[in-house]
Amino acid sequence: MTLSLLLLIPALGALLLLLLPAGLPPQRGRVFTLVVLALQLMWSLRVLLAFDPTQGGLQLQESVTWVGLIGLDYRLGIDGLSLPLVLLNSALTLVAALCTRDLSQRPRLYFALLMLISAAVNGAFLADNLLLFFLFYELELIPLWLLIAVWGGAGRAVAATKFLIFTAVSGFLILGSFLGLAFTTGSVDFSISPLLAGSLPLASQLTLLLPLLIGFGIKIPLVPFHTWLPDAHTQASTPVSVLLAGVLLKLGTYGLLRFGLGLFPEAWAVLAPWLAGWAALSVLYGSLAAIAQRDMKRMVAFSSVGHMGYVLLAAAAATPISLLGAVFQMVSHGVISALLFLLVGIVYRKTGTRDLEVLRGLLNPERGLPYTGTLMILGVMASAGLPGMAGFISEFLIFRGSITPFPVATLVSMVGSALTAVYFLLLVNRAFFGRLAITPPQDARLDALLDVRLAPVALRETVPATALAIAVVAIGLLPAGLGHLSEAASQVMALDLLPGGAG
Amino acid sequence: MSPSPPLVAQLVWLLPLYGFSGMLLSLPWASGLIKREGPRPAAYLNLIVTLVAVLHGSLLLREVLLHGALHIDFPWFQAADLDLRIGFDLSVTNLAALEFVTGMSLLGQVFALGYLDKEWSLARFYALVGFFEGAMAGVVLSSNLFLSFFLLEMLTLSTYLLVGFWYAQPLVVTAARDAFLTKRVGDVMLLMGLVGLSAAAGSLEFDDLYAWGGSLERAGAVGTLAPTLLGLGLIAGPMGKCAQFPMHLWLDEAMEGPNPASILRNSAVVTCGALVLLKVMPLLRISPLALVVLVVVGAVSALGGALVALAQVDLKRAFSYGTTSYLGLVFLAIALQQPAVALLLLFAHGLAKALIFMSVGSIIATTNCQDITELGGLAGRMPATTSAYLVAAAGLTGLLPLGCFWCFTPLVQAFMASQPLLAFVVLLTNGLTAVNLVRVYRQVFLDQPHPKTRRTPEVNWLMALPMVSLTVVVLLTPAVFARLALLPGLDALDPLAAALVLASGAGGVAVGLMLPLQRFSARSAQPTLRWFQDLLANDFYTAQLYRNTIVAFVAAVAQTVERFDQVVVSGLARRLGTASLASAESLRFGVSGQLQSYVLTAVVALVLLLSGLVWIHG
Repeated sequence: MTLSLLLLIPALGALLLLLLPAGLPPQRGRVFTLVVLALQLMWSLRVLLAFDPTQGGLQLQESVTWVGLIGLDYRLGIDGLSLPLVLLNSALTLVAALCTRDLSQRPRLYFALLMLISAAVNGAFLADNLLLFFLFYELELIPLWLLIAVWGGAGRAVAATKFLIFTAVSGFLILGSFLGLAFTTGSVDFSISPLLAGSLPLASQLTLLLPLLIGFGIKIPLVPFHTWLPDAHTQASTPVSVLLAGVLLKLGTYGLLRFGLGLFPEAWAVLAPWLAGWAALSVLYGSLAAIAQRDMKRMVAFSSVGHMGYVLLAAAAATPISLLGAVFQMVSHGVISALLFLLVGIVYRKTGTRDLEVLRGLLNPERGLPYTGTLMILGVMASAGLPGMAGFISEFLIFRGSITPFPVATLVSMVGSALTAVYFLLLVNRAFFGRLAITPPQDARLDALLDVRLAPVALRETVPATALAIAVVAIGLLPAGLGHLSEAASQVMALDLLPGGAG
Repeated sequence: MSPSPPLVAQLVWLLPLYGFSGMLLSLPWASGLIKREGPRPAAYLNLIVTLVAVLHGSLLLREVLLHGALHIDFPWFQAADLDLRIGFDLSVTNLAALEFVTGMSLLGQVFALGYLDKEWSLARFYALVGFFEGAMAGVVLSSNLFLSFFLLEMLTLSTYLLVGFWYAQPLVVTAARDAFLTKRVGDVMLLMGLVGLSAAAGSLEFDDLYAWGGSLERAGAVGTLAPTLLGLGLIAGPMGKCAQFPMHLWLDEAMEGPNPASILRNSAVVTCGALVLLKVMPLLRISPLALVVLVVVGAVSALGGALVALAQVDLKRAFSYGTTSYLGLVFLAIALQQPAVALLLLFAHGLAKALIFMSVGSIIATTNCQDITELGGLAGRMPATTSAYLVAAAGLTGLLPLGCFWCFTPLVQAFMASQPLLAFVVLLTNGLTAVNLVRVYRQVFLDQPHPKTRRTPEVNWLMALPMVSLTVVVLLTPAVFARLALLPGLDALDPLAAALVLASGAGGVAVGLMLPLQRFSARSAQPTLRWFQDLLANDFYTAQLYRNTIVAFVAAVAQTVERFDQVVVSGLARRLGTASLASAESLRFGVSGQLQSYVLTAVVALVLLLSGLVWIHG
């Protein structure tokens, strides 16, 4: 029951919240959600304590035969790959609930959906059965679609539909690959094991791996399947963006590692040089596109495209160190991008705009957002891979693990890391440095007349942001803890690629 | 290494932490949590921890001088074959550098107390200086490349924040940006080298790297592609840090920051960068190309910096280019495997340059002006500042037997036989620096008083005390060198080299004395001369060059990608989306609504799927 409770706590919480009497003040619903999510976080920490980091395989397994006829078993397990992600999910859902402002529209439904997503994501990370994973993967889709479509910005309908179509296609491709596996092997054993596909000829392995790659490539997202992400982020409200960037993208990279690399190691080794090239392309494309953005949120969204590309590079190299780096990158990108979206959300709410051509001087100590600005500098520096923060050790591990098999792709990705500094520095320099003003600069007369005075930021937003910032620094300074947790698992997953492959 | 090192050595990890703790201690004042007492307590706390750092360092230095060098390290992160450690080499050189860095930080902080007297965010300044000092203390002691890189990047960050201290001013904003990006480019190249070395050599400890480089040499792999690239990566980081051509732009712009930070930047920070280069020097033999690049970069920086400095009218910039120039000489010394001279030059230059920046800071604090054409006649009014300038100038030029004379002479001596051209570069740099120092002295201190310099009392004791102390230190530099047994001794000096250095210095002073002063307009009336003057004053138009090439290129590529993304990728997705929406639309008219149709399709698909699976199972 240890792992099942990770699903049950938020799922039952969602159900209970919906069943509570309708006349309940919205504030109560929020408190209830916070209590449930805090319980979930505590239980994840309990799982952390029960976890044995020396083992590489799945632990704390639970198994109930559910629909044996089609091979759908309720089987859960956890290892060094999924445990950090479960912790990340629990923590970030709590952050998302914390930073939600007072909703005027159906607050109960909103919080119930939030908890439902958390439950589904936990389920996907823990599932030890292909079909079960797919069920959870799809289960998270509809609530998120609703969160964007109901509580989003002005252009939410288009963005939500785009998100729905892309993710649905991603789901179909993944399901297709899983079913194809069942059809070609002629068995409905959907347990996750490379033995399953090992008997297949290379050609069918490749045919099955390709839809999987594209399916997860949409979710991660990798260029050219990324176009739903900036739109979804710009329309989603801050907590939803936090969840989307911090947790849901990780489903894609997790799937890539667990199923792409885990199920088809032979085909993976064949495709690895291409994947490394794809990763480098994605990193460069995301970083360059981010430079050209005016909207802060779109910029952060494109930075996600770039930074998730590193995970693909690490997965392609599949050395113990690069895979450990992939886990680090997933966690640190989760924390850092959640922090950045939170801060951009604060700026948007205080100033009414995210346009970098309009905002300036927000660091002003008396009338601006000095604390938000300070955390923003910390966040962008972490994202740019400055040492002492989470981004650096992740990138270092990935580059260090990937440079031997794919030197060229790694070096190109490192150029992307330099570009991160460019666009995020532009963001800080434009929006936070200079004289405080919220007008286009060419309008000098208005500029002088306007006396901008921004209201102080509520604790509801500064507290989670501070917590995330502390986490970013803590992972950066003391990475040994997370490394210890995931090292055995990354050793198990690693492939023995011959060094010197093209890349 | 003895079985149990003494306590002062075991506690070596505290040395970088003193600075960082100073930053943390300042936070309550810097963030405005405590407002009632004003920001001064943060400054005092920082001064105290820096003083403790200096004392701890000197105890360690005494220990090491008595009992020999020590190596202390702690595990930080291990995974598979990767072992990253926090390691400190407690050698005389490193500890001398540590004393230099922390001492400079102490003097600079006292100076800042006077200079930033009425600054409302004094606490933030001290927090940043604490961060700065901690990173520098770590860099000079570190025994492995990983820790060095880690802390160099922190230096990059703190430089960015210190340059951007007055972030509301537009020039400061661009200066901070350029400082960060230039250094970051160098750092990323260094990171490439670091990652490559880590994968190739296994360990990142300097000693292991030297051994690995030696084995590579024996295997005859020197100069092949990988070692060449590694070597280039290794020199790129220090190049950015030491403001060498073509990455020198930031140091000039960084003069927009507060002067006490400039003191540290021009003396201590560039020294840290060069020390890292000094530590990887034995490794550079694997990459002959890197050594050639080092020579070229060093020579161009030395002469270019000295020339550009001549045309500057800004008091701070006139000397910041001198830093580029002298560090160029250090690079030359390192490229030609003269580590002892490089080290001497670093210390001698660092001390004298810090003093000259203190003198400049006093002038700016008193007159609120840093344009030398508007200054004049300060010599009689500000005695301490004037004597500091004169001593620093003497320390910087090879004319009087102060610090730099003892560096230039062995350098010329070493180059004379094998590389006469480089010896000439050293002499010319010396001469040009002398010209510049005399030119500024005549303009600022000697000329008749200008409106802005009529009422110029000497600075208050908080600025005068560190300045006078440092004046004494600069005067005593040769004695300190001799005490540490770093000097070759008079008899080892080649009289010809010494004579050449003296002649170049004297010639520089003579030219400087004869140069016409620019009283009202900085630009010459003569067209040819004006062209040259503009060329130098604008730093060979490097900034424009960058704006029109690299910056424009990246911006254009980014715009192209963005347009491609909008038109092609998004457009394609939209067309596909419209197609699928159209079919959904038709379904909606066919059935009774969108949701139902979705459910229906899903159910049909599910039935097909389940029957298929059951069929396999059966």
